[in-house]
Amino acid sequence: MTTAQRQHPDTSQAVRDGLRRNPRPAVVWAAFGAGLLALQIGALLEFGGSAALDTVRAFNAIDAVPLTVGTEALAGFEQAAAEIPRLLSRQTIPNNGLYSVESEEWVVGPVYYNGQEWVGTFLGLEPATAWALRAVLVYAYAFAGLAWLWTGYRWFRRYYRVADWTPRDDVVDRLRSHYWGLFGLFVVFIFLTTVLFGPALAPTTNQASNVDPYSYETQYWDAETESVETTAVGTANSQSASSGSTNVGLFSYDDYGRYHPFGTLPGGQDLFTFIMYGARLSLSIGLVAVGLSTFIAAAFAMASAYYKGRVDLGLILLSDSIMALPSLLLIIMLSVIFGGTWLANIYSGGLLLSLVFVATGWPGLWRAIRGPTLQTTEREWVDAARAFGLKPRTIMRKHVFPYIVGYLLVYGSMSLGGVIIGIAGLSYLGLGVNPPTPEWGRAIGLGQPYIGTPSWHISIVPGVLITIVVIGFNALGDGVRDAIDPKSDTETTDAKGVGRGGGA
Amino acid sequence: MSDATRGEPLLAVEDLSVVFRTDKERIHAIDDVTFDIQAGETVGLVGESGSGKSVTARSILGLVDEPGRIESGSIYFRGEDLTQVGWEGARGDIAIVFQDPSGSLNPVYTVGNQIREALRMHQGLTGSAARDEAVDLLETVGISDAEKRVNAYPSEFSGGMRQRAVIATALACDPDLLVCDEPTTALDVTIQAQILDVLGDLQREEDLSILFITHDMGVISEVADRVNVMYAGEVVERAPADRLFSDPAHPYTRGLLASIPSVRDSDDQLLTIEGEVPTSNEAPTSCRFASRCPKAFDECTQVHPDHIDLGGGQSAACLLFEDELNSPVTPESGLPGAADAGESARTDGGEE
Repeated sequence: MTTAQRQHPDTSQAVRDGLRRNPRPAVVWAAFGAGLLALQIGALLEFGGSAALDTVRAFNAIDAVPLTVGTEALAGFEQAAAEIPRLLSRQTIPNNGLYSVESEEWVVGPVYYNGQEWVGTFLGLEPATAWALRAVLVYAYAFAGLAWLWTGYRWFRRYYRVADWTPRDDVVDRLRSHYWGLFGLFVVFIFLTTVLFGPALAPTTNQASNVDPYSYETQYWDAETESVETTAVGTANSQSASSGSTNVGLFSYDDYGRYHPFGTLPGGQDLFTFIMYGARLSLSIGLVAVGLSTFIAAAFAMASAYYKGRVDLGLILLSDSIMALPSLLLIIMLSVIFGGTWLANIYSGGLLLSLVFVATGWPGLWRAIRGPTLQTTEREWVDAARAFGLKPRTIMRKHVFPYIVGYLLVYGSMSLGGVIIGIAGLSYLGLGVNPPTPEWGRAIGLGQPYIGTPSWHISIVPGVLITIVVIGFNALGDGVRDAIDPKSDTETTDAKGVGRGGGA
Repeated sequence: MSDATRGEPLLAVEDLSVVFRTDKERIHAIDDVTFDIQAGETVGLVGESGSGKSVTARSILGLVDEPGRIESGSIYFRGEDLTQVGWEGARGDIAIVFQDPSGSLNPVYTVGNQIREALRMHQGLTGSAARDEAVDLLETVGISDAEKRVNAYPSEFSGGMRQRAVIATALACDPDLLVCDEPTTALDVTIQAQILDVLGDLQREEDLSILFITHDMGVISEVADRVNVMYAGEVVERAPADRLFSDPAHPYTRGLLASIPSVRDSDDQLLTIEGEVPTSNEAPTSCRFASRCPKAFDECTQVHPDHIDLGGGQSAACLLFEDELNSPVTPESGLPGAADAGESARTDGGEE
């Protein structure tokens, strides 16, 4: 869409005219969006601040670069943003108390049971209800955001867009009636929401539960002494472990009045929190890996389709050589070789993992899209563009790339599932992300000894979740493929011959 | 081609040979093709499917792809050999209109967008200036309501309108030479006539040179000033258009003309040339038409015919006109063993 608009000065002018003539839908839409944003503006600013801070810290951590950049200003900004109240947060709807020993203040709470009732939770609800309310609100907010975006698209199409019809409309309409694809979209959307709002969804924080449990304290009702006691989270964790003989299962409280929707890990950490933060990691590694490999695959596919001959042959040799190597062994070898370098420290080894998956993953993607790319470069408009002197790079970007975007989306979303499984597999083997950073595969590995005991949930829950997420990405891929290229699904031919027209 | 009054031609193709190499064989797509185009002139290139017309067109534009290669020969455009200096400098000065109008427009961009792309490249126009020019161009090629159509997608156009839009895109490059590769073949006859009119008007107004490629002798008779007849990768006859139709020399040209369906002589059975165009794996050593030629004799399978000047700008590559092998033969005296009834129609002389 952006490419098209950049080259449509008259079209954007027409859109501006349309806005002047009938501003109402745009104003309503913008107001609703502003309202949604206002509820969470603090979180957005805080996220921006911390992302910038993390980037700077990661940069400083690279030994190879002697330059270090100051972080005080960014840290101050993040701090200030964290103070802004927001709807979807542990502080607004508390379910458990957390006292930070380091900063000597209550992060959340204090929250405790005083023998008769809950003190400090949201409206005095019990922690399970408060947490569930927060979770429901998070998903409701996310779906409101989705509805807002969809309405924006519909209204733009109805009120402001100049063209009555564009090739992309058919793609969107076809996806809307593709139920398997919609199921995939639903799962992926839930997953993305989970990733985005993980900290607000989790009953406690990763820092307190998993990384540094002895720096936090919590309060609980001691039934023997009939008094509210304070204890370190670490101590509480060690008393709430799920290890067969002792168990805190699904949707249950531990002895300290803390609610665990998915139970606890063998070390007593909250599994739900672990999974929320792990989802973030899996997705970031997956997106970086798939993003980079699709970029490489697309560039190489266009180069081999446009130049053919020796370039193509060289790439075939290179990709065949990589594909001939046993990929698991290659992945393990690369992880070990680069394990000791500065690369392995960035994002708890996540970046290294991504790059390893890029190195082994691009040949498959390249293979998959080389055919369609070759087909596209055979089209006459490519010759026409060459004939009137467009540069090869412009031809590839403008006249070839839009036709392979669809394939990239399809194969990308499908291989994202593969990468998520791959990361989990490596972490299960102990080669993936460094502990204590949460990772789904590690949870499966940790729970393995207890699979036949009451603590079966440790392995089963993340395992089932991985399966659902991967199925979701594959279903979305199927849906997008059928939407872009209806011929792949049914025999009906598209009379207008635009079936392959992908949305840029 | 003895006309000394002409200046340097805009385009001169000399002894051009293009070979496609595959793992198994070398296919000679065109061999020693020679012809030229003067400024403001329309030159026709006719022949059956597989005779090398399109390869010739693609060579002129530098669009021959792997595994094809220009093996030898030169393409002089404005006096520069493009095979030596490359096509970059000539981009836009030579524009091409392909056969399939729905294929040459990218369906994901509006028609206006694609015209503007060419305008930006070759005339440096952007923004509203480019938009206005695009509308003008669409009007020039006869698209009504151009103001609105400029924002439409190719799929919203009919076949004829698409071809008009393709021509508009080609014009946006402000070319000196327009290569039309079967531009009307995919269209029905009424639309075909309209497109030919548009091309004719353009040529008059813009002093455009046109290389018109088609298999349709009827179309050639309408548009071309001079015609080159191609067979199996070689130019077998070249002649001014009116002369070609009144005095075809090469047996292949005669066959082509005889196979034009005629409304008036509907009782006659349609004449065909038996067989099909051979694919050549090596440079020609004999006449490639010999196997299908009704007038072939022994030497035809052993000697490769060179072009023989028949006067009046006409020449044919046929041993029938070779003095040493036959008694002197000219079109005026009739062909040896000529059995065609059409021979009696020869009226004009080939005198210098």
